[in-house]
Amino acid sequence: MGGGSSPSTAGRSRWRETLTAWSFALPFLLLFLVFMAGPILIAMVTSFTDLRVTDIRNPFAIEFIGLDNYLAVLGDPRFQKAAANTAVFVFVGVPLTMALGLAAAVGLNQGIVKFRTFFRVGFYLPVVTSIVAIAVVWRLLLGTEVGLINSTLSIFGIDGPGWISDERYALWSMIAMAAWRGLGFLMVIFLAGLQTIPRDLYEAAEVDGASAWQRFKGITIPLLRPTLLFGAVMTGIGYVQFFEEAYVMTEGGPLNSTLSMVLYAYRQFGFGNYGYTAATAFVLFVAVATLTIVQFRLFRDETR
Amino acid sequence: MRTRQRLGAVLLTLGMVAVLAACGRGDDDNGDDNGDGTAASQAPEVDTGSASGEIDVWAMGAEGEALGAFAESFMDEFPDVTVNVTPVPWDAAHDRIVNAMAGGEVPDVSMVGTTWMGEFATLGGLDPTPANIDGAQFFEGAWGTTVVDGTSYAVPWYVETRLLYYRTDIGEGAEAPATWDDLKALAASMQEAGAEYGISLQPGGTGAWQTYMPFFWQAGGEIMGEDGSFTLDGEPCVEALTYYDSFFEEGLTPAAAEDVPVEGRFANGEIASFISGPWMMSIVEDAGTDPEAYTVAHQPTEEAGTSFVGGSNLAVLADSDNKDAAWAFIEYLSRPDVQAAWYEEVSALPAVQAAWDEGVLSSDERLSEFGSQLEDAKAPPSIASWEQVAAEIDSVIEQVTVGDMAPEEGCTVMQEAATGIGTGQ
Repeated sequence: MGGGSSPSTAGRSRWRETLTAWSFALPFLLLFLVFMAGPILIAMVTSFTDLRVTDIRNPFAIEFIGLDNYLAVLGDPRFQKAAANTAVFVFVGVPLTMALGLAAAVGLNQGIVKFRTFFRVGFYLPVVTSIVAIAVVWRLLLGTEVGLINSTLSIFGIDGPGWISDERYALWSMIAMAAWRGLGFLMVIFLAGLQTIPRDLYEAAEVDGASAWQRFKGITIPLLRPTLLFGAVMTGIGYVQFFEEAYVMTEGGPLNSTLSMVLYAYRQFGFGNYGYTAATAFVLFVAVATLTIVQFRLFRDETR
Repeated sequence: MRTRQRLGAVLLTLGMVAVLAACGRGDDDNGDDNGDGTAASQAPEVDTGSASGEIDVWAMGAEGEALGAFAESFMDEFPDVTVNVTPVPWDAAHDRIVNAMAGGEVPDVSMVGTTWMGEFATLGGLDPTPANIDGAQFFEGAWGTTVVDGTSYAVPWYVETRLLYYRTDIGEGAEAPATWDDLKALAASMQEAGAEYGISLQPGGTGAWQTYMPFFWQAGGEIMGEDGSFTLDGEPCVEALTYYDSFFEEGLTPAAAEDVPVEGRFANGEIASFISGPWMMSIVEDAGTDPEAYTVAHQPTEEAGTSFVGGSNLAVLADSDNKDAAWAFIEYLSRPDVQAAWYEEVSALPAVQAAWDEGVLSSDERLSEFGSQLEDAKAPPSIASWEQVAAEIDSVIEQVTVGDMAPEEGCTVMQEAATGIGTGQ
């Protein structure tokens, strides 16, 4: 700033800078307000009303019913079942997917030299394939009477169970499918993380006589912690929203054993209970937020 | 900065209060009279004779594809009217119609699934049927689907009902079962004669209520009482659900949903019978069933021999700006000869009774079974929340047949769930 500028010109240029900054931020801000914050606020208001599909021609003729929708959602045994299923899906699915992803990444980083690209593509392919296509193919695979798995088992005289038609196995079949589908994404992320770990650390440890397991536990895991956190958060958010697999393969059945929270909300929306659905969505939002906070605690960098 | 934030908060609060004050339902108590098809009120006549202008028509599935040709012949008769037919996929139809009604940008005529009637009429999106149209020309059960709160809002276009399909070549001379005991005996005897399962009944899942509900009606049940409250439990429910479950208990029907379609297993004789609608005739024959080796029969009779009637209606939308021409088109599609020609085109059974008097509909043995069952067929009440109630019924059926819930408990659960949901009116 020039020495001759008076306080008023300084103020004006400050003002202009602010204006420029806002004008740069404005396009995003407008889009955000109109398409994100606005709808979220409306959904929030809706969740406290008894808005139904039959009210849409006259949306102001609705009653505010306070927390009734939230109490009804939380008190519905079917929602509790859906929440329990989703919890199993997340708490079994996320660690399983991460373990498989990490195993694949470590394997590809160290052991497997030949066909490395082949394996990378093979593991990553399910990630870029439409989940609906995957679910349709897996349904053929897991079919009770004509499924590939049970047909194979029957060669050995084993009468395979209904992998997705028996309520004892259906959710586990879906966890297996989700883990198979999700491991490719984590593998790529973890592989990138592994490559940032300096080689000399391993060499130094080897000189000190550390076993492979000790090196993995003492070097790989601690240094990979931020990457693991990222993987856990992303996978967790995805798995809480578990929907397509159940929607395509079982419609939440048999006996609601694969009913997820999102599927529950989706059905309520289909029934036209918009206020109730909005409340369900906010419960889901709280679940995702809580899970993420817990994960941040769990993977917190202890050296800091 | 501080004050500005506070001002913003105050303004926001004021805005919320204003919105709150504008909300609230009026005290319009429009009675809980879900007329049972008798003497439904209709709007005054419209002038269909001098119809002119343009109308947009939405129709789903095969109907949407085939309707164009019928619109052509309508336009030959009414040269002043132009009909634009838009085929809409079934999956998207419900939401598209709801969105159109919300926005006021609607087609003039739309095909409406029978179970959507309560929702659309309560929403205020449909025009009441004018008095030009005589409700008595349709099957009573089908006309009943158009009536919401005592007023008719549509015209039945085509219908379907559920009959028993059974193999006539398994066992010795299988006869059409007259009672519940006969049906059970038929299934058991065909299973003894070599079929893997005597019958295939849906063990829950979407739409299972359509197979269960006829048994409930046959036991003397009604979905709703005169006062508009649900009556899903009680003796008829326990009887019907116990009977339905007994096929599962006794191993006469597959214990869980199968991933092999029933038509293939029916064709090779593994499944000896099942209950379904008219579309299955061509499907089982395409799957290789000898047309001579199977037949269809009425539902068995206990206190009644009632079946389920479904299908689609044609409605004029409330925001249509050419209602005269719209109703003229619907009137045209309801003529017996047009209905018969429509059957030839898409194999959809006519809702107009007179259309059954000639041609293949009266001469074909199996088709005329459907025709006579339609005279004793009911539809669920046209209430806005029916889809949700039906999902609860489906869920209970599954818990009774596949799970270990007792029929008595199932009936109580059904009734409580339905009462909790309400009619959505």
